[in-house]
Amino acid sequence: MTGYNSKYSDHPIRRWFIQQSVDHPWRTILLSLIVTIIMASGIRFFTIDDDVMKMLPKNMDSRIAWDAVQEEFGSTDVIFIAFGEKGKSIFHSKALAALWDLMEEMESNDLVEEVICISNATRIDNVDGFMEVGDLQLERRLTESDVEYIRKYLNRNLSIKKRLVSENEDYFIVMVQPYNSEGMDIFRNTVVSISDPILKDFEIHYGGQAYITGTMPALIREDVQSLMKAGMLIMVFILLMNLRSVPGVAMVMMVIGLSLLSMLGFMGWILKLTGSDRFLFTMANTSMPIILLTIANSDGVHVVTKFFKELRYKKEIQPAVVSTMDSLLIPIFLTSITTIAAFLTMITSPLEPMIGYGVTMAAGITWAWFLSSLMLPAVISLKKWDVESKAISQQSAFEKGIDKLGKVVLTHPKYVFSVGALFVIIGVLGLIKVTVDVNLSSFFKPGTEIRNSLDFMDEEMTGTTDIRVRLAGDIKDPEILTDMINLQDFIEKDEKVSISYSIANVVEQMHRIVMDDDPAYEIIPDTREKVNNLFTMYSMSGDPDDFSGMVDYDYEVGLITSLSKVMSTDEIFFFVENMDMFIENNFDSSIKTTVTGMIVVFRDLVIMIVKSAIFSIIFSLVVIGIIASIFFKRILWGALAVIPLSSAVIMNFGFMGYFGIELSHITAILSSIIIGVGVDFAIHYIAQFRRLSRTISSDKLSREVIDDVGYAIILDAGSNMGFGALLFSAFLPIQYIGGLMVFAMVSTSLGTLTVLSALAELLKKRLIGKGKG
Amino acid sequence: MKISIIVITFLSILFGQTGFEIAKMVDEKPSPIDMSNMTKMVLTNSKGKSRTNIMVSKSTGGNEKQIIWFMEPKDDKGVAFLKIEHDDKDDEMRMWLPAFKKVRRISSKKKGDSFMGSDMSYEDLSNRELNENEYNRLKDETVNGIECYVLEIIPKKELKSSYTKHISWIAKNGLYGVKEESFDKRGILLKKKEYTFQKLQEYFIIDRVFVENVQKQHSTEVTFLDVKVDSGIDDGLFHEKNLKRMPR
Repeated sequence: MTGYNSKYSDHPIRRWFIQQSVDHPWRTILLSLIVTIIMASGIRFFTIDDDVMKMLPKNMDSRIAWDAVQEEFGSTDVIFIAFGEKGKSIFHSKALAALWDLMEEMESNDLVEEVICISNATRIDNVDGFMEVGDLQLERRLTESDVEYIRKYLNRNLSIKKRLVSENEDYFIVMVQPYNSEGMDIFRNTVVSISDPILKDFEIHYGGQAYITGTMPALIREDVQSLMKAGMLIMVFILLMNLRSVPGVAMVMMVIGLSLLSMLGFMGWILKLTGSDRFLFTMANTSMPIILLTIANSDGVHVVTKFFKELRYKKEIQPAVVSTMDSLLIPIFLTSITTIAAFLTMITSPLEPMIGYGVTMAAGITWAWFLSSLMLPAVISLKKWDVESKAISQQSAFEKGIDKLGKVVLTHPKYVFSVGALFVIIGVLGLIKVTVDVNLSSFFKPGTEIRNSLDFMDEEMTGTTDIRVRLAGDIKDPEILTDMINLQDFIEKDEKVSISYSIANVVEQMHRIVMDDDPAYEIIPDTREKVNNLFTMYSMSGDPDDFSGMVDYDYEVGLITSLSKVMSTDEIFFFVENMDMFIENNFDSSIKTTVTGMIVVFRDLVIMIVKSAIFSIIFSLVVIGIIASIFFKRILWGALAVIPLSSAVIMNFGFMGYFGIELSHITAILSSIIIGVGVDFAIHYIAQFRRLSRTISSDKLSREVIDDVGYAIILDAGSNMGFGALLFSAFLPIQYIGGLMVFAMVSTSLGTLTVLSALAELLKKRLIGKGKG
Repeated sequence: MKISIIVITFLSILFGQTGFEIAKMVDEKPSPIDMSNMTKMVLTNSKGKSRTNIMVSKSTGGNEKQIIWFMEPKDDKGVAFLKIEHDDKDDEMRMWLPAFKKVRRISSKKKGDSFMGSDMSYEDLSNRELNENEYNRLKDETVNGIECYVLEIIPKKELKSSYTKHISWIAKNGLYGVKEESFDKRGILLKKKEYTFQKLQEYFIIDRVFVENVQKQHSTEVTFLDVKVDSGIDDGLFHEKNLKRMPR
């Protein structure tokens, strides 16, 4: 036995690995399972949270401004509820009674900070010469004349009406603000569970960032579960086709399952230990399990397939395992390390979840590599395989098919190369068509409940995308109040903006009331004293909290809130730029103005996504090139390894441009995945080229390499069809990732067999010469 | 009927006064005919930010008629407020707005409305009518060394109060309130109130009130300085024209 051990491998590290699997299989399995269990136990800390704001770095201007606004004015994330019946007036006592019940139930809930609706709106009115501050809706049960009074009051005060009633007066709008931005899913479920029974006689629509953020965890959970099922089914199918052995398939699935559990547990542990938002599981992370599943499968399937081949010739289990691992340990390590490196380059992304994505994936891949290199051969060596079984003694139909496909590629390399080059050129032209979009509603398929609801809020209501302008200065100063009104007028000129409100509007309204309800006085008073008198008068009967969403306690910070319908990326950039210019040209420099809100966050996200995609491509190509150069001891190999990848990335983005697939924080991760996974093909090719170049003459070299490595590459690409599971996602960008990854796997594998082989053939004198030296 | 009267009489003898009897004693205790003071009101929000107002107040009939002149902050100097309560109609409230040079009548339909942005509502400031509430006597307690009756006060429905109940601690010696807790319409604690009194002539006169809205984490501290009672304030003072005349 000892003598046989020394023959395991001529390399000490490979020998050690093989010894652990073959000589101590139970110990290896046990230790692997213990570590897996420890890692997987972090799943209890695993948290799903898709808050867009958490994607932004904390030191970014719009994030700082956003946090300041949240601190001063409470959470600005709100859930919008619209209820009524299309085409029928909502102004009737039954609807107002339902609204009253809803308001009371919401206000009595501990998760709710504030409810804004007609039932608790404050009325400032001039009644028989009195300035009267009171409730707009006095009680639950109203007479027809009470209802008519409310309608008339709102028609006199359109800025209030726009917030609380739809334009055609067929829906009431309720805004529900949470106490804080944590646990938005619980808040969302609470709001829905309160509203649904009370408003059962009406059409109900929900919207707003808080609603989307709150809905996402359940959708993400559901999506991950269904994707995993689809992914596992696809994997089992591919594996069964290839291996034709249930135990073989089960062993690969074991590696996949254990890797997945470890990765998700790792994410939980890191979140627990660091408390960093980077390790929250967002919509973007939904693709992670499928990607790991595919990568882990790729490792496992190589081991089992190679083992079957070896067993076919060697007829004995242990020598077959030894031979398998001796030839695969290096390629598996190399493909893993390059994939890990590609994912780790995501830490350069300015988007927070991308960092967590990269690190977590790297951890998952590391563990998949460990299990494939140690535990899987240990498990294989323990089973008594039937050498006469069809799975082992005969080639599979898949294997035969791949052979044929390889021959087609080899027989027509120029044709395949030309087609590939054409695709790359087309891809380059498509690059300019790529657009960026981060609007979450476009992530859901049209016709789904959530998309319909969001579209309704956008088309029929005020829209729910907010624009907030924070002004620091003396808010009782008429000049500042006039500036606020002017800025609001400017904002409202944009046809997508439906409403804008601030404390300046309240001052105008109070001014009119004090001046005997004369509409000519619905302007900002001319002196600070007058403004102050108005506030003092209001304080004699109004609630001090009435203005808390518009001005701070000391009247030193004011907030303009505007609501807009969904804008395109270009519109967002144009709008924010114009608003910044307006402020610069019209505001006194002593007024510190900060623009924030979802619209600015979207703008910043767009900039970051573009940066993230570019950084990620450059860094991963450079890192992969360096790693390949080091391992293959030639810079030229490093450069050649990244050529098929670069082509695939260009084609990927070009196709996104042609098919109108927007670049978002979800699809931005594509380049890293393509590079990380696609590099495996080049590594297989280069490793084989270098090995065979020592024994085969240069004129036959490329053909022999392709003959030998074609199966491995196509097998790898075939295994990677598991990415197709992402097509079953409920989220459109994840579906796009699925489709594009399948295409990218085909293009990178064929690119390796054509572009890389053609280049290697052209440069073989330099490559072989140095290699032999 | 006879049996129940016997039972109530027996319990009354056994346990002392009923809640209603204690409330009646409080209601009937002597109060000044008129009062004037300098009022300092400090409002503090949940973030610890404060606003201070200083006012001069004159009132008669236990605040049935009251005139207030704002002295501080500087922004509010000159603003004045006149309130005259009526039993049979809405209270009259007028304000002098010096910047507009106008007297404006204001009205609040809600008892629960805040008075001057403080944690005290008009309901908190008005005299509690004996017959508009039900009183239950709870177990006596000692608060800060002061022996107190403890009453549960439940406003009757017709009062349309913004509270469901109050728990009030009343000093046995002097019959003045030491503290009170008020519960909102859901029955959840809303405000905690603490009072300190001084003896002036034969009256126990309030000299500090601290009210905390526990739900909003906002508090109000009112201190009454330079208090004078029964100084013979002329009823003619409570007129609109006097709003413009700041006291010296």
